[in-house]
Amino acid sequence: MMRRVFILLVVFLFGLVFLNVAVGYEELQSLRPLARHYVAQGPVELGVPNIVTAILITYRGFDTLGEVAVLFMVAASVGLLLKKNEGDRNTAEKPISERKAGEIVITGAAVLMPFIFTFGAYVIVNGHLSAGGGFQGGAIVASGVMLLLLARPESELNISMLSIIESLAGAFYILIGVSGIILAGGFLDGRFLPLGEFGAFISAGAVPLISALIGIKVGAELSVILSSFKS
Amino acid sequence: MIEFIGSVFILTGTIFLFSAGLGVLRMPDAYTRIQAGTKASTLGNTLVLIGLAFYHPGWTFKLVLVIYFVLMSNPISSHALSRAAYRIRIPMTSSTVVDAITEEEPEQEP
Repeated sequence: MMRRVFILLVVFLFGLVFLNVAVGYEELQSLRPLARHYVAQGPVELGVPNIVTAILITYRGFDTLGEVAVLFMVAASVGLLLKKNEGDRNTAEKPISERKAGEIVITGAAVLMPFIFTFGAYVIVNGHLSAGGGFQGGAIVASGVMLLLLARPESELNISMLSIIESLAGAFYILIGVSGIILAGGFLDGRFLPLGEFGAFISAGAVPLISALIGIKVGAELSVILSSFKS
Repeated sequence: MIEFIGSVFILTGTIFLFSAGLGVLRMPDAYTRIQAGTKASTLGNTLVLIGLAFYHPGWTFKLVLVIYFVLMSNPISSHALSRAAYRIRIPMTSSTVVDAITEEEPEQEP
């Protein structure tokens, strides 16, 4: 009885909080000055139809670099924490996951995997035109890798190869950023490449390139995290 | 008129999606819940997407791809889930009358 009363009280208080938020909500009638600058100048300065990507990759590109670095640290520490000791590997029993997946799952994974990877690549390379971009596309690619690990637990990812790819992508990201300082207005300024036709697939300077690099990096990092959870 | 047909498709789809949610809430054990959720939500999703194709004929190709993805992924993932539930011996409800896995593959009895 006391418990119920307590739960009801908590629900009521939550309702009060959300009611306040809902009643106090006022729709902004106009953009804030910073947002207005982004919306008005983003497509003109950078030739990027997708303003979110323009902000993420160019105006706030340094932030994105930090986020990717955080992801890298997560991958490294997860790998370190989940690393198996050599001694355990021989004595440990075969876990349940060693059992082979069923035929339906294996076939379904084989049918869906190209689909998922293609979609991930599509999202990555169209980051400057439509919703999506490097982070999202990389996560989609990693979900395909997860499907592979689930359907074929015996398959081994080439971790060292993935690490090399990931480091190269990071290095090129910095390189593009620095060439932005040298050739254009500042760090990660993508205007040293021709802007091209607005809305075309190859346009917007270095933005699609940076997006693709982020996609490769995120996909490789998440795949490493997933595969270290497997073992 | 075309938009009306699309709306009918979407409404039918939402009815199926609602029954999927109801089934997940009301069915007695894990297997029947998975079954109710999968079948009804696959059909419901498909119908909603078909209805969208009536509204936006330009999206048809992409919507067909999405429907294909739903038709492939939803049943397979539910299959894997219920199979895994069977392997770790999640109990069935008391009114279960047939257990096809044990009948067909007695050597796989865990």
